[in-house]
Amino acid sequence: MKTFLKILLASSLAISAGAKEIKLLNVSYDPTRELYTEYNATFAKYWKEKSGDDVVISQSHGGSGKQAQSVIAGLEADVVTLALSYDIDAISQQAKILPADWQKRLPNNSTPYTSTIVFLVRKGNPKGIKDWDDLVKPKISVVVPNPKTSGGARWAYLAAYAFALETYGHDDAKAKGFITKLYKNVPILDSGARGSTITFAQRGIGDVLLAWENEAHLALKEFGDDKFEIVTPPLSILAEPPVTVVDKNAKRHGTTEVATAYLNYLYSDEGQEIAAKNFYRPRNQDIAAKYAANFTQLKLVTVDQEFGGWAKAQQIHFADGGTFDQIYQP
Amino acid sequence: MKLNQLLIATFVGAQFAVAALADDATNNSTEAAEIAALKQEIQKLDQKVSDLETEHQAAQPATASSDNAQIQDLDQKVKILERQRELDQDAATAAAKTRPLVKLDASGFTFSSADTNFVIGLHGLIQFDSRSFFNEPGIKQGSDNFLLRKARPILTGTVFHDFDFNFTPDFGGSSPVIYDAYVNYRYNPELQLEAGKFKSPVGLELLQSDSWLFFNERTLANNLVPNRDYGAELHGDLFGGVAGYAAGVFDGAPDYSTPSSNQDYDNRLAFAGRVFIQPFKKSSLTALQGFGFGVGGSDENDQNSVSGLTAGYKTDGQQTFFTYSAAAVANGDHWRISPQGYYYYGPFGLLGEYVISDQNVTSGAKALDLQNTAWEISGGWVLTGENDSYNGVTPKHPFDPRNGQWGAWQVVARYADLNVDNQANNTTFAPAGSALRASGWSVGINWYLNRNIRLNASFSRTTFGDIVGAASAVTKQPENVLFTRIQLAF
Repeated sequence: MKTFLKILLASSLAISAGAKEIKLLNVSYDPTRELYTEYNATFAKYWKEKSGDDVVISQSHGGSGKQAQSVIAGLEADVVTLALSYDIDAISQQAKILPADWQKRLPNNSTPYTSTIVFLVRKGNPKGIKDWDDLVKPKISVVVPNPKTSGGARWAYLAAYAFALETYGHDDAKAKGFITKLYKNVPILDSGARGSTITFAQRGIGDVLLAWENEAHLALKEFGDDKFEIVTPPLSILAEPPVTVVDKNAKRHGTTEVATAYLNYLYSDEGQEIAAKNFYRPRNQDIAAKYAANFTQLKLVTVDQEFGGWAKAQQIHFADGGTFDQIYQP
Repeated sequence: MKLNQLLIATFVGAQFAVAALADDATNNSTEAAEIAALKQEIQKLDQKVSDLETEHQAAQPATASSDNAQIQDLDQKVKILERQRELDQDAATAAAKTRPLVKLDASGFTFSSADTNFVIGLHGLIQFDSRSFFNEPGIKQGSDNFLLRKARPILTGTVFHDFDFNFTPDFGGSSPVIYDAYVNYRYNPELQLEAGKFKSPVGLELLQSDSWLFFNERTLANNLVPNRDYGAELHGDLFGGVAGYAAGVFDGAPDYSTPSSNQDYDNRLAFAGRVFIQPFKKSSLTALQGFGFGVGGSDENDQNSVSGLTAGYKTDGQQTFFTYSAAAVANGDHWRISPQGYYYYGPFGLLGEYVISDQNVTSGAKALDLQNTAWEISGGWVLTGENDSYNGVTPKHPFDPRNGQWGAWQVVARYADLNVDNQANNTTFAPAGSALRASGWSVGINWYLNRNIRLNASFSRTTFGDIVGAASAVTKQPENVLFTRIQLAF
């Protein structure tokens, strides 16, 4: 027994002596703060048990487009967990620090969870907002971030545009007219989703916030469901926020193994539960069923279906001189 | 209110009417009919009053509701403006972090990236001189002229905090010349590595900035030290600047001249180094804090190199008074040593050095080890009381005559002597007319209008001795030169 205890003690000491601290930087989009606070703690515990090493994960949050540009400019992200694949493609093309086929490396096109865009309105829904066409009525004030900087804003824009396409028989001119009227009702553009939530919920501006679904739920939690309520439109867009390792940075930092494990763990039961608890729609169907009450069923259209993919959507709508620049005058 | 009054009046009137009629009730049936008619009128009036009251009450909520809507609308507008202001401030703060910084002051223009990883400075030195020679009748020596003595845009900078660079061309001569082009890596103040083309670490007066010399031209002693050279040196300041050192390898430069090409023809490297100490710099003895002394030296080995010999020793007036003969070449060891020192205290400045340049020279079949020597002592006194320093004078009261400010004034004087080894006193090694000895004294006055503009006037006299053969136009008579200068330095 004594010998066994000595061996156990020696092993523990050896493990402790060999344990190292690994640092990871996760550059993410704006509303994922709460998700990754919880997820990082769980992953750190998991990794400690698995490898004996301590992993310390730092987070950076901001509008998805801005975050991508920061990584391109040299922010040493080990992993990026952004709002849309286009922003990660931009990192691959401009900075060449991860391969072009990054999206194939993880299941579901490297999207461990999905989300959508819903409406957050004042309690009682005094303006009677139920669907996208209510947003273009006179005297309705809509809060949404700037699609030039925010991934969520681009999802919201495309969701509205998709509604218009579905409503007007895919008549692009009419859809453009619709989106023009919608943005005429937008008094202010924050750079990211979190800023828009502050504008709507804390500053009391606007009648409706076009928000990430999780952000809407968080707002109810934080500010009280006696002040706001969520209206889920019948149709919205399937938002697929992707994740990937930033290969060159991870290699330089010696963190490839743990960075890969960090993202893989998002697909585990624990990771999927954390996503669901934070109001992201998990890919795991069993866990999705468990948390079904959190998520309203609605018709979800994809970027590929309605817009021919992100590259095309970016080019037509969000590039300089694109549709957004044409229709929005500050 | 008016309605109530109307009502009361109507009813009172009606009452009187009814009462009057009632008093005469017994009169006749027409009176009864009139009463009935009046009652009808009263009922109509009563209905009208009710209708008016109802209308009035209905109007009040609509007005209140419209006021509320206006207030809410205004409230939203105010909130939007406040939020927009917050966002603009955030954007301005973020932009300020990336905005380049621009500084403009007496030391020139400086541009810096927001993270200060890239700093570029643009400076300049312009010296516009005049020289007037005073000759003995019938002997033409020197040319009276105006000249652009130096016209240097000076580009300096620092990248990533530790890497300095300097690029200085000069357009003042007949053709542009690159004077300095080097990079300096600062590991710390004590250990730095400089590489490129820069001043060789030997002569004290040579190492002083062109902007802050006592006189227009450096002394005769400067003829024996190397000017700029191509190479690399380790250097640094030790003990907080109390001591400084420099040691490097270079292509090798002849006395005074700067190598005019990028190649070292003799395939040999030169070593140059210097140590300089200011022992009281950090002490409480303020009278001695400005005292410094040191020694510089160099050693190289030339092999049948014409370019290893000086192109000529020059006077203050920049006239050549000594050259080696056309057949002479540097062939063998060439070493220099220069003990040197300065002393600055308040308005007083004093600088001196002694130089030995020992060089093996071959001309034809004859080889000599020639040891040329020179020394100089220069001094100045700032009449207006400002402190003098190795880095010039800064007026306390920059020139502004409207406010009675006249800048800083300094009187200066110096003496220098140069001796070429007497073994060269033959035409095998030096052509006729070359003087083996030159002595010069100068006096002058400097007027610092401000840190950037300086005017000066000085007089220099150089006499010659030990002339090889017959004297030349230069060495036949003393050189007397009156100098003036307008200088812009930033």
